[in-house]
Amino acid sequence: MERLLAIHVEALGEEAPDGSTLRDYSSLLDALDLLCPFTEPVRLGLYALPVRGPSRFFGGEAAVLDMVAATVHEVTGHDASLGIADGLFCAEIAARERLLVAPGATAAFRRRQPLRALGREDLVTTCRRLGLHTVGAFADLERARVAERFNKNALVLHQVARGERSELATQRDLKLARRLGRLRGEALADEQLGFFGQRGDDDRAHAAARRLQSRLGADGVVVAALRGGRAPEDRATLVPWGSPAGSIRDDAPWPGQLRSPSPASTLRVRQGVALLDGNAEEVRVGSRGFLSARPRALLVDQVRRDVIWHAGPWPSLERWWGRGRRRAHLQLLLASGEAVLLAAESGRWWLVGVYD
Amino acid sequence: MFAFSTERPTLPADLVATLRPVVLAKSRTLPLGEPWSGLVPGGGLRRGTTVVVQAAPGSGGLSLALSLVARASLEGHWTGVVGVGDPGAVAIAELGVDLRRVLFVPRPLGAWAEAAADLVDGVDLLIVRPPRAGSGVARRLVDRVRERGIVMIVLVEPGAPWPLPADLSFTITEARWATSSRLDARHLTVLVGGRGEAARGRAHVVTLPDRRGRAR
Repeated sequence: MERLLAIHVEALGEEAPDGSTLRDYSSLLDALDLLCPFTEPVRLGLYALPVRGPSRFFGGEAAVLDMVAATVHEVTGHDASLGIADGLFCAEIAARERLLVAPGATAAFRRRQPLRALGREDLVTTCRRLGLHTVGAFADLERARVAERFNKNALVLHQVARGERSELATQRDLKLARRLGRLRGEALADEQLGFFGQRGDDDRAHAAARRLQSRLGADGVVVAALRGGRAPEDRATLVPWGSPAGSIRDDAPWPGQLRSPSPASTLRVRQGVALLDGNAEEVRVGSRGFLSARPRALLVDQVRRDVIWHAGPWPSLERWWGRGRRRAHLQLLLASGEAVLLAAESGRWWLVGVYD
Repeated sequence: MFAFSTERPTLPADLVATLRPVVLAKSRTLPLGEPWSGLVPGGGLRRGTTVVVQAAPGSGGLSLALSLVARASLEGHWTGVVGVGDPGAVAIAELGVDLRRVLFVPRPLGAWAEAAADLVDGVDLLIVRPPRAGSGVARRLVDRVRERGIVMIVLVEPGAPWPLPADLSFTITEARWATSSRLDARHLTVLVGGRGEAARGRAHVVTLPDRRGRAR
Protein backbone atom coordinates (compact mmCIF):
# COMPACT_ATOMS: atom_id res chain seq x y z
CA MET A 1 0.00 0.00 0.00
CA GLU A 2 1.28 3.40 -0.91
CA ARG A 3 2.39 5.95 1.65
CA LEU A 4 0.11 8.94 1.21
CA LEU A 5 0.03 12.45 2.54
CA ALA A 6 -3.59 13.47 3.08
CA ILE A 7 -4.36 17.17 3.09
CA HIS A 8 -7.60 18.10 4.76
CA VAL A 9 -8.80 21.68 4.42
CA GLU A 10 -11.95 22.03 6.48
CA ALA A 11 -12.99 25.33 4.91
CA LEU A 12 -13.09 23.83 1.41
CA GLY A 13 -15.26 20.91 2.46
CA GLU A 14 -18.62 22.65 2.28
CA GLU A 15 -19.75 23.88 -1.09
CA ALA A 16 -20.65 27.58 -1.09
CA PRO A 17 -23.66 28.58 -3.20
CA ASP A 18 -21.60 30.95 -5.38
CA GLY A 19 -19.26 28.23 -6.64
CA SER A 20 -16.23 29.80 -5.00
CA THR A 21 -15.36 26.59 -3.16
CA LEU A 22 -14.68 24.66 -6.34
CA ARG A 23 -12.59 27.52 -7.73
CA ASP A 24 -10.52 27.75 -4.55
CA TYR A 25 -10.19 23.98 -4.47
CA SER A 26 -8.95 24.04 -8.05
CA SER A 27 -6.40 26.79 -7.51
CA LEU A 28 -5.02 25.00 -4.47
CA LEU A 29 -4.77 21.85 -6.57
CA ASP A 30 -2.68 23.76 -9.12
CA ALA A 31 -0.41 25.05 -6.37
CA LEU A 32 0.03 21.58 -4.86
CA ASP A 33 0.70 20.18 -8.32
CA LEU A 34 3.82 22.32 -8.36
CA LEU A 35 5.11 20.50 -5.30
CA CYS A 36 4.03 17.08 -6.52
CA PRO A 37 2.40 16.61 -9.91
CA PHE A 38 0.67 13.47 -8.69
CA THR A 39 -1.53 15.33 -6.23
CA GLU A 40 -4.99 13.80 -6.38
CA PRO A 41 -8.23 15.68 -5.82
CA VAL A 42 -10.05 13.16 -3.62
CA ARG A 43 -13.14 15.20 -2.82
CA LEU A 44 -13.89 18.75 -1.80
CA GLY A 45 -11.77 19.55 1.23
CA LEU A 46 -9.40 16.62 0.76
CA TYR A 47 -6.32 16.00 -1.36
CA ALA A 48 -3.83 13.13 -1.30
CA LEU A 49 -0.35 12.82 -2.70
CA PRO A 50 2.17 9.96 -2.73
CA VAL A 51 4.78 11.23 -0.33
CA ARG A 52 7.78 9.08 -1.20
CA GLY A 53 8.92 10.93 -4.32
CA PRO A 54 8.60 14.45 -2.93
CA SER A 55 10.18 13.53 0.39
CA ARG A 56 13.22 12.12 -1.37
CA PHE A 57 13.38 15.27 -3.39
CA PHE A 58 12.78 17.85 -0.67
CA GLY A 59 14.79 15.97 1.94
CA GLY A 60 12.37 14.18 4.22
CA GLU A 61 8.69 14.03 5.02
CA ALA A 62 8.97 16.88 7.51
CA ALA A 63 10.19 19.18 4.76
CA VAL A 64 7.27 18.17 2.52
CA LEU A 65 4.81 18.81 5.36
CA ASP A 66 6.24 22.29 5.89
CA MET A 67 6.03 23.15 2.21
CA VAL A 68 2.49 21.83 1.86
CA ALA A 69 1.29 23.63 4.98
CA ALA A 70 2.86 26.86 3.74
CA THR A 71 1.32 26.42 0.28
CA VAL A 72 -2.18 25.82 1.66
CA HIS A 73 -1.91 28.82 3.91
CA GLU A 74 -0.61 31.03 1.15
CA VAL A 75 -3.23 30.06 -1.42
CA THR A 76 -6.37 29.75 0.69
CA GLY A 77 -5.56 31.57 3.93
CA HIS A 78 -6.74 28.52 5.86
CA ASP A 79 -4.79 26.00 7.87
CA ALA A 80 -4.66 22.45 6.66
CA SER A 81 -4.57 19.36 8.78
CA LEU A 82 -1.99 16.98 7.39
CA GLY A 83 -1.37 13.33 8.04
CA ILE A 84 0.70 10.55 6.56
CA ALA A 85 -0.10 6.84 6.51
CA ASP A 86 -0.35 3.93 4.08
CA GLY A 87 -3.46 3.97 1.95
CA LEU A 88 -6.13 6.63 1.69
CA PHE A 89 -8.33 5.19 4.46
CA CYS A 90 -5.67 5.56 7.13
CA ALA A 91 -4.15 8.69 5.63
CA GLU A 92 -7.42 10.58 5.97
CA ILE A 93 -7.82 9.54 9.60
CA ALA A 94 -4.21 10.53 10.23
CA ALA A 95 -4.86 13.93 8.66
CA ARG A 96 -7.90 14.58 10.86
CA GLU A 97 -5.79 13.74 13.91
CA ARG A 98 -2.71 15.52 12.50
CA LEU A 99 -0.59 12.42 12.85
CA LEU A 100 2.42 11.00 11.08
CA VAL A 101 2.05 7.25 11.18
CA ALA A 102 5.55 5.80 11.03
CA PRO A 103 6.39 3.53 8.11
CA GLY A 104 5.25 0.01 8.97
CA ALA A 105 2.96 1.18 11.78
CA THR A 106 -0.13 1.66 9.64
CA ALA A 107 -1.63 -1.78 10.36
CA ALA A 108 -1.55 -1.21 14.13
CA PHE A 109 -2.92 2.30 13.62
CA ARG A 110 -5.81 0.98 11.56
CA ARG A 111 -6.69 -1.73 14.05
CA ARG A 112 -6.86 0.82 16.85
CA GLN A 113 -9.52 2.91 15.15
CA PRO A 114 -13.09 2.78 16.44
CA LEU A 115 -15.52 1.01 14.16
CA ARG A 116 -17.20 4.32 13.41
CA ALA A 117 -14.24 5.10 11.16
CA LEU A 118 -15.65 2.71 8.58
CA GLY A 119 -18.59 5.04 8.22
CA ARG A 120 -21.53 2.66 8.60
CA GLU A 121 -23.85 3.15 11.58
CA ASP A 122 -25.68 -0.18 11.10
CA LEU A 123 -22.39 -2.03 11.22
CA VAL A 124 -21.34 -0.21 14.36
CA THR A 125 -24.61 -1.05 16.13
CA THR A 126 -24.56 -4.71 15.21
CA CYS A 127 -20.92 -5.13 16.08
CA ARG A 128 -21.33 -3.41 19.43
CA ARG A 129 -23.88 -6.09 20.34
CA LEU A 130 -21.28 -8.67 19.42
CA GLY A 131 -18.74 -6.93 21.65
CA LEU A 132 -16.64 -5.62 18.75
CA HIS A 133 -15.56 -2.01 19.13
CA THR A 134 -12.49 -1.51 16.98
CA VAL A 135 -11.60 -1.93 13.34
CA GLY A 136 -9.09 -4.58 14.40
CA ALA A 137 -11.70 -6.67 16.17
CA PHE A 138 -13.93 -6.51 13.10
CA ALA A 139 -10.99 -7.47 10.89
CA ASP A 140 -10.41 -10.59 12.97
CA LEU A 141 -13.85 -11.95 12.10
CA GLU A 142 -13.68 -14.64 9.50
CA ARG A 143 -14.73 -13.56 6.06
CA ALA A 144 -17.39 -16.27 5.88
CA ARG A 145 -18.95 -15.12 9.17
CA VAL A 146 -19.12 -11.53 7.88
CA ALA A 147 -20.72 -12.72 4.67
CA GLU A 148 -23.37 -14.64 6.64
CA ARG A 149 -24.30 -11.86 8.93
CA PHE A 150 -23.98 -8.71 6.80
CA ASN A 151 -24.58 -7.69 3.22
CA LYS A 152 -22.10 -7.33 0.36
CA ASN A 153 -21.02 -3.82 1.31
CA ALA A 154 -19.81 -5.09 4.65
CA LEU A 155 -17.43 -7.43 2.85
CA VAL A 156 -15.76 -4.43 1.25
CA LEU A 157 -15.51 -2.76 4.65
CA HIS A 158 -14.03 -5.97 6.00
CA GLN A 159 -11.34 -5.83 3.33
CA VAL A 160 -10.55 -2.25 4.26
CA ALA A 161 -10.41 -3.24 7.93
CA ARG A 162 -7.95 -5.99 7.07
CA GLY A 163 -5.85 -3.69 4.95
CA GLU A 164 -6.57 -5.65 1.76
CA ARG A 165 -8.17 -2.58 0.25
CA SER A 166 -6.66 0.84 0.67
CA GLU A 167 -9.74 3.05 0.76
CA LEU A 168 -13.47 3.24 1.27
CA ALA A 169 -15.66 3.81 -1.77
CA THR A 170 -17.27 6.73 0.03
CA GLN A 171 -14.00 8.63 0.41
CA ARG A 172 -13.80 9.69 -3.20
CA ASP A 173 -16.04 12.07 -5.11
CA LEU A 174 -16.13 10.47 -8.52
CA LYS A 175 -17.71 13.49 -10.18
CA LEU A 176 -15.10 15.89 -8.86
CA ALA A 177 -12.50 15.26 -11.56
CA ARG A 178 -15.02 16.02 -14.29
CA ARG A 179 -16.21 19.17 -12.55
CA LEU A 180 -12.64 20.37 -12.17
CA GLY A 181 -11.97 19.57 -15.79
CA ARG A 182 -14.98 21.60 -16.86
CA LEU A 183 -13.90 24.51 -14.70
CA ARG A 184 -10.42 24.35 -16.13
CA GLY A 185 -11.72 24.03 -19.66
CA GLU A 186 -13.70 27.24 -19.27
CA ALA A 187 -10.69 29.04 -17.86
CA LEU A 188 -8.50 27.76 -20.67
CA ALA A 189 -11.03 28.77 -23.29
CA ASP A 190 -11.12 32.31 -21.91
CA GLU A 191 -7.39 32.60 -21.68
CA GLN A 192 -6.16 30.78 -24.73
CA LEU A 193 -8.52 31.37 -27.60
CA GLY A 194 -6.37 33.63 -29.65
CA PHE A 195 -6.75 34.37 -33.31
CA PHE A 196 -8.74 31.53 -34.88
CA GLY A 197 -8.61 29.63 -31.63
CA GLN A 198 -4.99 28.89 -32.12
CA ARG A 199 -2.74 28.55 -29.19
CA GLY A 200 0.85 27.74 -29.77
CA ASP A 201 2.41 24.51 -28.65
CA ASP A 202 5.31 26.78 -27.79
CA ASP A 203 3.36 28.45 -25.00
CA ARG A 204 2.48 25.08 -23.55
CA ALA A 205 6.11 23.95 -23.62
CA HIS A 206 7.29 27.21 -22.10
CA ALA A 207 4.79 26.91 -19.28
CA ALA A 208 5.96 23.37 -18.52
CA ALA A 209 9.60 24.46 -18.58
CA ARG A 210 8.89 27.30 -16.17
CA ARG A 211 7.08 24.93 -13.84
CA LEU A 212 10.01 22.53 -13.89
CA GLN A 213 12.47 25.31 -13.22
CA SER A 214 10.51 26.32 -10.16
CA ARG A 215 10.92 22.75 -8.97
CA LEU A 216 14.47 21.90 -10.00
CA GLY A 217 16.16 25.28 -10.16
CA ALA A 218 17.11 27.33 -13.19
CA ASP A 219 19.59 24.86 -14.66
CA GLY A 220 17.28 21.89 -14.13
CA VAL A 221 15.84 22.41 -17.61
CA VAL A 222 18.27 22.95 -20.45
CA VAL A 223 18.15 23.32 -24.18
CA ALA A 224 20.92 22.34 -26.54
CA ALA A 225 22.48 24.38 -29.29
CA LEU A 226 25.35 23.81 -31.66
CA ARG A 227 28.26 26.13 -32.31
CA GLY A 228 31.45 25.89 -34.28
CA GLY A 229 34.12 23.53 -33.07
CA ARG A 230 36.15 20.51 -33.86
CA ALA A 231 34.94 17.77 -31.54
CA PRO A 232 31.36 16.91 -30.56
CA GLU A 233 32.04 17.86 -26.95
CA ASP A 234 33.04 21.38 -28.07
CA ARG A 235 30.20 21.84 -30.51
CA ALA A 236 27.36 21.10 -28.14
CA THR A 237 26.30 23.66 -25.59
CA LEU A 238 23.63 23.06 -23.03
CA VAL A 239 22.18 26.26 -21.64
CA PRO A 240 19.46 26.70 -19.03
CA TRP A 241 16.08 27.15 -20.61
CA GLY A 242 15.20 30.80 -20.97
CA SER A 243 18.76 32.11 -20.92
CA PRO A 244 19.69 34.07 -24.03
CA ALA A 245 21.19 31.63 -26.52
CA GLY A 246 23.05 34.59 -28.00
CA SER A 247 24.83 34.16 -31.25
CA ILE A 248 25.35 30.42 -31.03
CA ARG A 249 25.35 29.26 -34.63
CA ASP A 250 26.72 26.30 -36.46
CA ASP A 251 26.78 27.34 -40.05
CA ALA A 252 30.44 28.05 -40.68
CA PRO A 253 32.64 25.30 -42.04
CA TRP A 254 35.11 24.16 -39.44
CA PRO A 255 38.31 22.62 -40.69
CA GLY A 256 39.33 19.43 -38.97
CA GLN A 257 35.87 18.75 -37.57
CA LEU A 258 35.37 15.14 -36.49
CA ARG A 259 33.07 13.52 -39.00
CA SER A 260 29.67 12.04 -38.33
CA PRO A 261 28.32 9.85 -36.86
CA SER A 262 28.74 11.56 -33.51
CA PRO A 263 28.32 10.01 -30.06
CA ALA A 264 24.72 10.19 -28.82
CA SER A 265 26.07 10.80 -25.34
CA THR A 266 28.80 13.40 -24.79
CA LEU A 267 30.03 13.66 -21.25
CA ARG A 268 29.49 17.05 -19.66
CA VAL A 269 32.37 16.37 -17.30
CA ARG A 270 34.91 14.27 -19.12
CA GLN A 271 36.10 11.25 -17.24
CA GLY A 272 39.73 10.20 -16.85
CA VAL A 273 40.41 6.68 -18.15
CA ALA A 274 43.44 4.51 -18.79
CA LEU A 275 44.25 2.96 -22.16
CA LEU A 276 46.55 -0.03 -22.02
CA ASP A 277 48.45 -2.09 -24.58
CA GLY A 278 49.05 -5.86 -24.59
CA ASN A 279 51.71 -5.53 -21.88
CA ALA A 280 49.45 -3.51 -19.61
CA GLU A 281 51.50 -0.38 -20.34
CA GLU A 282 49.86 3.00 -20.94
CA VAL A 283 49.30 3.80 -24.59
CA ARG A 284 50.54 7.31 -25.43
CA VAL A 285 50.22 9.66 -28.36
CA GLY A 286 53.69 10.50 -29.69
CA SER A 287 54.72 13.96 -30.78
CA ARG A 288 54.12 12.97 -34.39
CA GLY A 289 50.60 11.90 -33.66
CA PHE A 290 51.04 8.14 -33.62
CA LEU A 291 50.09 5.75 -30.87
CA SER A 292 52.93 4.20 -28.91
CA ALA A 293 51.29 0.76 -29.14
CA ARG A 294 48.07 -0.91 -30.18
CA PRO A 295 45.38 -0.37 -27.51
CA ARG A 296 44.08 -3.60 -26.00
CA ALA A 297 42.16 -2.58 -22.90
CA LEU A 298 40.33 0.41 -21.50
CA LEU A 299 40.06 0.97 -17.76
CA VAL A 300 36.98 2.93 -16.74
CA ASP A 301 36.43 3.26 -12.99
CA GLN A 302 38.94 0.42 -12.52
CA VAL A 303 36.78 -1.86 -14.67
CA ARG A 304 38.71 -3.44 -17.52
CA ARG A 305 37.06 -3.50 -20.95
CA ASP A 306 38.68 -5.25 -23.90
CA VAL A 307 39.32 -3.13 -26.97
CA ILE A 308 38.82 -4.94 -30.27
CA TRP A 309 39.29 -2.10 -32.75
CA HIS A 310 40.41 1.50 -32.83
CA ALA A 311 40.57 4.36 -35.29
CA GLY A 312 42.65 7.50 -35.08
CA PRO A 313 44.24 9.25 -33.37
CA TRP A 314 43.19 12.44 -35.07
CA PRO A 315 45.44 15.10 -33.60
CA SER A 316 44.58 18.75 -33.49
CA LEU A 317 46.47 21.78 -32.37
CA GLU A 318 44.01 24.48 -31.51
CA ARG A 319 44.45 28.09 -30.47
CA TRP A 320 48.00 28.15 -31.74
CA TRP A 321 47.97 31.88 -31.14
CA GLY A 322 47.78 31.32 -27.41
CA ARG A 323 49.44 28.66 -25.38
CA GLY A 324 47.95 26.11 -27.65
CA ARG A 325 45.83 23.11 -26.89
CA ARG A 326 47.14 19.83 -28.12
CA ARG A 327 44.51 17.18 -28.38
CA ALA A 328 43.92 13.92 -30.20
CA HIS A 329 40.73 11.93 -30.58
CA LEU A 330 40.45 8.18 -30.79
CA GLN A 331 37.50 5.91 -31.52
CA LEU A 332 37.36 2.55 -29.78
CA LEU A 333 35.17 -0.46 -30.27
CA LEU A 334 34.88 -2.59 -27.15
CA ALA A 335 34.34 -6.33 -26.97
CA SER A 336 30.86 -5.69 -25.54
CA GLY A 337 29.87 -4.04 -28.84
CA GLU A 338 29.95 -0.52 -27.39
CA ALA A 339 31.79 2.24 -29.18
CA VAL A 340 33.35 5.19 -27.35
CA LEU A 341 35.23 8.37 -28.16
CA LEU A 342 38.39 9.20 -26.22
CA ALA A 343 40.47 12.35 -26.18
CA ALA A 344 44.14 12.54 -25.24
CA GLU A 345 45.05 15.80 -23.58
CA SER A 346 47.51 16.96 -20.91
CA GLY A 347 49.27 13.62 -20.99
CA ARG A 348 46.28 11.40 -20.31
CA TRP A 349 43.14 9.89 -21.80
CA TRP A 350 39.63 11.11 -21.26
CA LEU A 351 36.32 9.48 -22.08
CA VAL A 352 34.34 12.18 -23.89
CA GLY A 353 31.56 10.33 -25.66
CA VAL A 354 29.59 7.09 -25.90
CA TYR A 355 27.94 6.02 -29.14
CA ASP A 356 24.78 4.91 -27.35
CA MET B 1 -25.69 27.31 -42.52
CA PHE B 2 -22.63 29.36 -43.14
CA ALA B 3 -20.56 26.22 -43.20
CA PHE B 4 -22.42 24.92 -46.22
CA SER B 5 -22.44 28.17 -48.11
CA THR B 6 -20.42 28.03 -51.28
CA GLU B 7 -19.90 31.76 -51.14
CA ARG B 8 -17.71 31.52 -48.11
CA PRO B 9 -14.75 33.82 -48.65
CA THR B 10 -11.48 31.95 -49.07
CA LEU B 11 -8.77 32.51 -46.53
CA PRO B 12 -5.37 33.77 -47.58
CA ALA B 13 -2.87 30.95 -48.00
CA ASP B 14 -0.47 32.12 -45.32
CA LEU B 15 -3.30 32.21 -42.83
CA VAL B 16 -4.49 28.75 -43.79
CA ALA B 17 -1.00 27.50 -43.10
CA THR B 18 -1.24 28.64 -39.49
CA LEU B 19 -4.60 26.96 -38.89
CA ARG B 20 -4.80 23.55 -37.40
CA PRO B 21 -7.64 21.15 -38.09
CA VAL B 22 -9.74 20.41 -35.04
CA VAL B 23 -9.49 16.64 -35.06
CA LEU B 24 -8.25 14.68 -38.00
CA ALA B 25 -7.58 10.98 -37.84
CA LYS B 26 -4.00 11.86 -38.58
CA SER B 27 -3.62 14.15 -35.61
CA ARG B 28 -4.20 11.17 -33.39
CA THR B 29 -0.82 9.90 -34.49
CA LEU B 30 2.54 11.59 -34.57
CA PRO B 31 4.61 11.05 -37.70
CA LEU B 32 7.57 8.71 -37.85
CA GLY B 33 10.47 9.07 -40.23
CA GLU B 34 12.35 6.40 -42.14
CA PRO B 35 12.88 3.56 -41.47
CA TRP B 36 10.29 3.32 -38.67
CA SER B 37 7.24 4.45 -40.64
CA GLY B 38 7.42 1.21 -42.62
CA LEU B 39 7.97 -1.03 -39.60
CA VAL B 40 5.28 0.16 -37.20
CA PRO B 41 1.56 -0.59 -37.55
CA GLY B 42 -0.17 2.54 -38.83
CA GLY B 43 3.14 4.12 -39.77
CA GLY B 44 3.13 6.53 -36.82
CA LEU B 45 3.11 6.88 -33.04
CA ARG B 46 -0.42 6.80 -31.65
CA ARG B 47 -1.09 9.60 -29.19
CA GLY B 48 -1.71 8.47 -25.64
CA THR B 49 0.50 5.43 -25.89
CA THR B 50 3.71 4.31 -24.23
CA VAL B 51 6.60 3.05 -26.31
CA VAL B 52 9.32 1.02 -24.62
CA VAL B 53 12.83 0.91 -26.04
CA GLN B 54 14.91 -1.79 -24.41
CA ALA B 55 18.63 -2.07 -25.05
CA ALA B 56 21.79 -3.00 -23.20
CA PRO B 57 23.80 0.05 -22.12
CA GLY B 58 25.73 1.60 -24.99
CA SER B 59 24.11 -0.54 -27.65
CA GLY B 60 22.08 2.14 -29.39
CA GLY B 61 18.96 2.53 -27.27
CA LEU B 62 19.40 6.27 -26.90
CA SER B 63 19.93 6.78 -30.64
CA LEU B 64 16.88 4.67 -31.38
CA ALA B 65 14.65 6.61 -28.98
CA LEU B 66 15.84 9.91 -30.44
CA SER B 67 15.34 8.73 -34.00
CA LEU B 68 11.70 8.00 -33.16
CA VAL B 69 11.02 11.66 -32.37
CA ALA B 70 13.00 13.18 -35.26
CA ARG B 71 10.23 13.57 -37.82
CA ALA B 72 7.64 14.85 -35.37
CA SER B 73 10.17 17.34 -34.04
CA LEU B 74 10.84 18.66 -37.54
CA GLU B 75 7.10 19.13 -37.97
CA GLY B 76 6.94 21.40 -34.97
CA HIS B 77 6.19 19.09 -32.05
CA TRP B 78 8.01 19.60 -28.78
CA THR B 79 10.00 16.83 -27.13
CA GLY B 80 11.03 16.43 -23.51
CA VAL B 81 14.00 14.29 -22.48
CA VAL B 82 14.20 13.26 -18.82
CA GLY B 83 17.08 11.42 -17.19
CA VAL B 84 19.53 11.37 -20.09
CA GLY B 85 22.49 12.81 -18.22
CA ASP B 86 24.80 13.74 -21.07
CA PRO B 87 22.88 14.20 -24.29
CA GLY B 88 25.10 14.45 -27.35
CA ALA B 89 23.60 17.43 -29.06
CA VAL B 90 25.60 16.95 -32.26
CA ALA B 91 24.37 13.39 -32.72
CA ILE B 92 20.82 14.42 -31.89
CA ALA B 93 20.94 17.10 -34.57
CA GLU B 94 22.44 14.60 -37.02
CA LEU B 95 19.48 12.30 -36.39
CA GLY B 96 17.26 15.06 -37.71
CA VAL B 97 15.83 16.32 -34.43
CA ASP B 98 15.17 20.06 -34.24
CA LEU B 99 17.09 21.05 -31.11
CA ARG B 100 15.11 24.26 -30.75
CA ARG B 101 12.11 22.24 -29.66
CA VAL B 102 13.70 19.83 -27.20
CA LEU B 103 13.66 20.39 -23.44
CA PHE B 104 16.23 18.38 -21.52
CA VAL B 105 16.01 17.55 -17.85
CA PRO B 106 19.39 15.84 -17.57
CA ARG B 107 19.49 15.39 -13.82
CA PRO B 108 16.04 15.29 -12.25
CA LEU B 109 17.62 14.36 -8.88
CA GLY B 110 15.26 11.98 -7.11
CA ALA B 111 12.24 13.31 -8.93
CA TRP B 112 12.36 11.82 -12.42
CA ALA B 113 8.70 10.83 -12.32
CA GLU B 114 7.61 14.26 -11.17
CA ALA B 115 9.73 15.93 -13.83
CA ALA B 116 8.26 13.63 -16.45
CA ALA B 117 4.73 14.34 -15.25
CA ASP B 118 5.37 18.07 -15.48
CA LEU B 119 6.61 17.73 -19.04
CA VAL B 120 3.59 15.66 -20.05
CA ASP B 121 1.62 18.90 -19.89
CA GLY B 122 3.98 20.75 -22.17
CA VAL B 123 5.27 18.45 -24.90
CA ASP B 124 3.94 16.02 -27.47
CA LEU B 125 6.73 13.48 -27.14
CA LEU B 126 8.52 12.53 -23.98
CA ILE B 127 11.66 10.42 -23.73
CA VAL B 128 12.26 9.09 -20.24
CA ARG B 129 15.20 7.08 -18.94
CA PRO B 130 14.03 6.00 -15.46
CA PRO B 131 16.54 4.68 -12.92
CA ARG B 132 14.23 1.80 -12.00
CA ALA B 133 10.53 2.37 -12.12
CA GLY B 134 8.10 0.99 -9.56
CA SER B 135 4.79 -0.12 -11.00
CA GLY B 136 2.78 2.46 -9.05
CA VAL B 137 4.76 5.36 -10.43
CA ALA B 138 4.78 3.83 -13.90
CA ARG B 139 1.02 3.38 -13.94
CA ARG B 140 0.38 6.92 -12.85
CA LEU B 141 2.64 8.25 -15.55
CA VAL B 142 1.09 6.04 -18.23
CA ASP B 143 -2.38 7.21 -17.17
CA ARG B 144 -1.32 10.82 -17.42
CA VAL B 145 0.21 10.23 -20.85
CA ARG B 146 -3.03 8.63 -22.03
CA GLU B 147 -5.11 11.43 -20.60
CA ARG B 148 -3.05 14.19 -22.22
CA GLY B 149 -2.68 12.36 -25.52
CA ILE B 150 1.09 12.55 -25.85
CA VAL B 151 3.56 9.79 -26.69
CA MET B 152 5.97 8.60 -24.02
CA ILE B 153 9.09 6.72 -25.02
CA VAL B 154 10.68 4.87 -22.13
CA LEU B 155 14.30 3.86 -22.42
CA VAL B 156 15.19 0.86 -20.25
CA GLU B 157 17.88 -1.76 -19.88
CA PRO B 158 17.16 -5.49 -19.83
CA GLY B 159 18.16 -5.63 -16.15
CA ALA B 160 15.49 -3.09 -15.12
CA PRO B 161 12.54 -3.58 -17.46
CA TRP B 162 9.49 -1.30 -17.60
CA PRO B 163 6.97 -2.83 -15.18
CA LEU B 164 3.95 -2.41 -17.46
CA PRO B 165 3.10 -3.89 -20.86
CA ALA B 166 4.04 -1.52 -23.70
CA ASP B 167 1.74 -0.40 -26.49
CA LEU B 168 4.71 -0.58 -28.81
CA SER B 169 8.16 -1.93 -28.04
CA PHE B 170 11.56 -1.87 -29.68
CA THR B 171 14.09 -4.33 -28.34
CA ILE B 172 17.64 -4.15 -29.61
CA THR B 173 18.95 -7.69 -29.74
CA GLU B 174 22.17 -7.09 -31.61
CA ALA B 175 24.37 -4.09 -32.42
CA ARG B 176 27.14 -4.45 -34.97
CA TRP B 177 29.45 -1.64 -36.10
CA ALA B 178 30.73 -1.38 -39.63
CA THR B 179 34.16 0.21 -39.68
CA SER B 180 36.64 1.56 -42.18
CA SER B 181 39.26 4.06 -41.13
CA ARG B 182 36.67 5.23 -38.61
CA LEU B 183 33.31 4.16 -37.23
CA ASP B 184 31.05 4.09 -40.24
CA ALA B 185 27.64 2.83 -39.35
CA ARG B 186 25.91 0.60 -36.87
CA HIS B 187 23.49 -2.15 -37.83
CA LEU B 188 20.91 -2.83 -35.18
CA THR B 189 18.71 -5.88 -35.04
CA VAL B 190 15.48 -4.57 -33.56
CA LEU B 191 12.52 -6.63 -32.44
CA VAL B 192 9.36 -4.55 -32.94
CA GLY B 193 6.46 -5.75 -30.83
CA GLY B 194 3.62 -4.53 -28.68
CA ARG B 195 -0.13 -4.73 -28.39
CA GLY B 196 -2.78 -5.11 -31.07
CA GLU B 197 -1.44 -5.16 -34.59
CA ALA B 198 2.10 -4.94 -33.30
CA ALA B 199 1.69 -8.07 -31.19
CA ARG B 200 3.21 -10.25 -33.87
CA GLY B 201 6.79 -9.30 -33.08
CA ARG B 202 9.13 -8.97 -36.04
CA ALA B 203 12.88 -8.53 -36.18
CA HIS B 204 14.26 -5.87 -38.51
CA VAL B 205 17.77 -4.72 -39.24
CA VAL B 206 18.13 -0.94 -39.35
CA THR B 207 21.19 1.25 -39.77
CA LEU B 208 21.45 3.68 -36.89
CA PRO B 209 23.49 5.79 -37.21
CA ASP B 210 24.70 5.68 -40.79
CA ARG B 211 27.69 7.63 -42.12
CA ARG B 212 25.78 10.88 -41.86
CA GLY B 213 24.50 10.11 -38.39
CA ARG B 214 20.95 9.33 -39.50
CA ALA B 215 18.64 6.36 -39.20
CA ARG B 216 18.12 4.33 -42.31
